[in-house]
Amino acid sequence: MEEKVITVTSGKGGVGKTTTTANIGSALALLGKKVVVLDGDIGLRNLDIVMGLENRIVYDIVDYVEGRCRLRQALIRDKRAPELYLLPTAQTRDKSAINPGQMVQVCDELRKEFDYIIIDSPAGIEQGFQNALAPADRVLVVTNPEVSSVRDADRVIGLVEAQQKGPVQLIINRLIAARVKKQEMLSTQDIMDVLSTEIIGIVPEDEAILSSSNRGTPVVFNGKSPAAIAYRDIARRLIGEDVPLVQPQPTSWWQKLFGRTE
Amino acid sequence: MIAIKGFKQGLLVIFSGPPDEPWLARLRELEAKLSANPGFFKGGSMAFDVKAMPLSEDDLRRSVALLESYEITLWAVLAQDEATRARVRALGLADRLTPPEPAAAPVTHRPRDVARIPAATPSPTIEPTARAAPAEEHHPEGTDGLLVRRRVRSGQVLRHPGHIVVIGDVNPGAQLIAGGDIIVWGKLQGTAHAGALGDDRAVICALEMSPTFIRIADATRAPRPGERRSRNKASSAEMARVEDQQIVFVAWDKAARISE
Repeated sequence: MEEKVITVTSGKGGVGKTTTTANIGSALALLGKKVVVLDGDIGLRNLDIVMGLENRIVYDIVDYVEGRCRLRQALIRDKRAPELYLLPTAQTRDKSAINPGQMVQVCDELRKEFDYIIIDSPAGIEQGFQNALAPADRVLVVTNPEVSSVRDADRVIGLVEAQQKGPVQLIINRLIAARVKKQEMLSTQDIMDVLSTEIIGIVPEDEAILSSSNRGTPVVFNGKSPAAIAYRDIARRLIGEDVPLVQPQPTSWWQKLFGRTE
Repeated sequence: MIAIKGFKQGLLVIFSGPPDEPWLARLRELEAKLSANPGFFKGGSMAFDVKAMPLSEDDLRRSVALLESYEITLWAVLAQDEATRARVRALGLADRLTPPEPAAAPVTHRPRDVARIPAATPSPTIEPTARAAPAEEHHPEGTDGLLVRRRVRSGQVLRHPGHIVVIGDVNPGAQLIAGGDIIVWGKLQGTAHAGALGDDRAVICALEMSPTFIRIADATRAPRPGERRSRNKASSAEMARVEDQQIVFVAWDKAARISE
């Protein structure tokens, strides 16, 4: 099966799921794919804010599921890319407003029209997580280089494996190479010792993220900041391009460490 | 007559004996087993096989309540009596051993990388000297085991009345609970409880021993100072066993055979 539905999850909150969803979705759209990003966090929506589309929401996924609108009406077009859409969630409801079966149905509708459906999972392992996982063809687990985040990622990977959803790939987010070198932060190797899951990207800590989230412009839309490059690389790996994985370095950030030497 | 066996979805309690024996007497017998080793059962799930014995709705409700008081979930009751099976289903319990929902399964492993090691029939080809007498006493040859060939991740619990063998790492936050020995062919970082049914001769072995916490029968031990978080340290295989009610670690090599 074609891997169209990609769920971004983590277990722990605040590790960068929403930023990752917005940037990977936008980067895939900039590569010419038809993409919809879907906010799975019913009641605590914020993918629309990070995408800068908050003021255009009329209908949301709960309205569609409950029959108050057609799917087309709930989709918000993002004009910064040729074919990028947001399916927002409801602010006034909670996780029980949608069940996993309905989530699968919504995604089955979206599959007909889109190349990629990127789902931003809520934190936790309760119903919102189960909703986000149910339709997934591929799961991206986001972790930060610190012990509690890795522990939660391990738990989530175990749950995903138990439901035989896969493949599972790992994004290490907010890595600060200088602090890893000083052994103040877990290294990629430390994380792999516990998780032993394929890494699809390492995103360095980047000041550009904060300002871009506040402005509602994902970093991949402008500039060459380190995080923007990392997210664009992840998008290219998702569409099957062979982009070697690079390990952020304190001295020269994009020095190639592993992957094949060219 | 109660036998507790481990299988893929947790524990199976087999009630054998005359079908006219009162159910309450059997429940009391089960309770004696539960209260003797509550640590082994806590948080687990159980299935009953009541054979030909007919159970009333009241009997079933009492069973559920008893297990609940030990924090055990009763999820299935196997019965030969058709009326009993109907009552089992009416209470929302399973009447056969199909796997429970993934979220409810206490042992969240995939079937293909888990093998139950059946009790072996004694083979005449085994040399008598290979079986040391004390080992034979506390684990009769052919004790059941659970073989798991994968990484055990945080939040996952493996529970078996016999031995547990993991070929792979046991991550921090994972739990192994065995009535017999625990062997980890990999790095043990989670928690492990061997001899959880009271056998203080049980051992815990790991290629790399850095558990969060281990327990053998009633003896407990937190890791030795400085042994956790020591990254990339080349360490040798170790075995934990009980000596004078204390857990000690010894090198796991020829000098420290399990059956010594």
